[in-house]
Amino acid sequence: MSVLSNINTALNVRHAGERAESAPFLLQLSIMTTRVLRTTFRQPAAVIPGIIISAFFLLVYNSSLGNASNFLPGLAGKSYLAFILPVSVISSALSGAGIAGQAIVRDIESGYFDKLLLTPMSRGALLLGAMLAGALVLALQTAVVLTLGLLMGLQPETGFGGLLAVMGLALLLGTGFSGFTVGIALRTGSAAATQGGSFLFFPLTFLTATFVPVSLLSGWIKTAAEYNPVTYLLESMRSLLLYGWQTDVLLRGLGSCLALGVILFAFALFNLRARTQRR
Amino acid sequence: MFNREIVAENLVKQYGDFAAVNNVSFKVNSGEIFGFLGPNGAGKSTTVSIMTTLGLPTSGKALVGGLDVVTQAGEVRRIAGVALQDIGLDPLMKSTELLTIQGQMFGFSRKQAQARAAELLDLVKLSDFTDRRVGKYSGGMRRRLDLAMALVHEPAILFLDEPTTGLDPASRRDIWHEVRRLNQQLGMTIFLTTQYLEEADELADRIAIIDRGQIVAEGAPAELKASLGGESINLTFRTQEDVDSAKSALGEMATRLQTDRKVLRLYLNQAAAAVPAVMTRLQQHTLEPVSLTLTQPTLDDVFLQVTGQRFDVQAEPEPEVA
Repeated sequence: MSVLSNINTALNVRHAGERAESAPFLLQLSIMTTRVLRTTFRQPAAVIPGIIISAFFLLVYNSSLGNASNFLPGLAGKSYLAFILPVSVISSALSGAGIAGQAIVRDIESGYFDKLLLTPMSRGALLLGAMLAGALVLALQTAVVLTLGLLMGLQPETGFGGLLAVMGLALLLGTGFSGFTVGIALRTGSAAATQGGSFLFFPLTFLTATFVPVSLLSGWIKTAAEYNPVTYLLESMRSLLLYGWQTDVLLRGLGSCLALGVILFAFALFNLRARTQRR
Repeated sequence: MFNREIVAENLVKQYGDFAAVNNVSFKVNSGEIFGFLGPNGAGKSTTVSIMTTLGLPTSGKALVGGLDVVTQAGEVRRIAGVALQDIGLDPLMKSTELLTIQGQMFGFSRKQAQARAAELLDLVKLSDFTDRRVGKYSGGMRRRLDLAMALVHEPAILFLDEPTTGLDPASRRDIWHEVRRLNQQLGMTIFLTTQYLEEADELADRIAIIDRGQIVAEGAPAELKASLGGESINLTFRTQEDVDSAKSALGEMATRLQTDRKVLRLYLNQAAAAVPAVMTRLQQHTLEPVSLTLTQPTLDDVFLQVTGQRFDVQAEPEPEVA
């Protein structure tokens, strides 16, 4: 350690004091997050399509299937809008999850990633900064979709608190899934592969009780839905909007989200290691 | 404690069967500009990536400022600045943002980092372009900003990997000027790789020539040139046969002869004074050169001498080298 302190002494002398050897982790994280947010909004094309597609889904599904609640069991007298809105929220979350991966892949392609590796900054801040920024953009996207729902006449059973809970679940799913896109970005360093990776989870939105309650599914799609974590998330959001605070349903949704997130985050960390390991 | 020297001892970097760097040793003294010269793919960037802690050597040892690049990578990064061949700048960001972040990562407060950014932008003459995204910069401007990025933490040792490749002559001159200034005013030790002989000649106090992973010559530019033995008369002929006849006709007049395709080089002392005699001798043999030039030896000649190849003809389909 004497080497280190000698260097510090030398640097401090040169800079006449106050200079730490590197920024504290949380500062690094906030610097990286701000940076990714800023660059993301400098290319609006990265954010706007996600919002438009979510809004499009919401409008189309609601217009074409809007009367279905009259004959779907358990939905009699309820709003189909509240039933289908979570699908839109989830697809927006999944598409928004690509933002973190794209940010990382952009840095790898430009060489800025290597430049940052040559500073004393933490590799963790590099990863989490992108994921956190992705989550914030996601929150914005979700807020837009929810606002659109409200404008279309949504009356959530659990009120404003319920909307916040829906948003929280969407954030959890999106951030978890961004672990996947970040992992692919770090593994391949390729924008095309990262983009492709984002689409891989697209079927998750459809191999589930997308348009009708789970009880109406049968055959292989029912099995798929039962194993699909999105199903439980969808049910949680629907219960919030349609029925009220149902603890057991919420916990199942939260649990499946967290489990997925933990696995995908581990995937991202593993690939961060592989990418930043000196060879 | 660190110093400002760079030492490589028997560095090897093996990729499968291929040794990109094959037993390379050198020492760069404190405050020196060291030119690491070689053609594309000779092992320059691989060496730099090891010295700058991005890559690991397969074997051998490297010390930067007395610190081991393998076991003390973190400390090396604090005292060394690096501008890699592939410029690492986010095109969506602006110069001040990039420099400020760089400074903050090295422990400057936001204010200090911004002040340092302004100072460096001034230094590399980019102060008037802070509104523009880096993606809209010209190649030369990007290089200068990249150089500024490497200087943020006031490194004692600077690594520049092909800092002028792809630049126009004016921008190249700007970079040369800057490199010299950093070296003279701040006493920075500078390790510079280049594939341009004139760049190494212009800037470096000492040079190592690397070819196919191995150092084939090392010394001060003047020393290396002197080792070739004087000036030369270069005669270009129409045909290979003429070159061969001229070679036998003029052989005894020169200290050394070299042919390179249709050019015959006669190395001799006081080349200019010898021109009339050379022309007379050629006339006697009814040989008529297409052109005659005189040269002081260049590093190009050194390279030809030590590798048996011309420096800038890798693309040439038929290297007819004597």
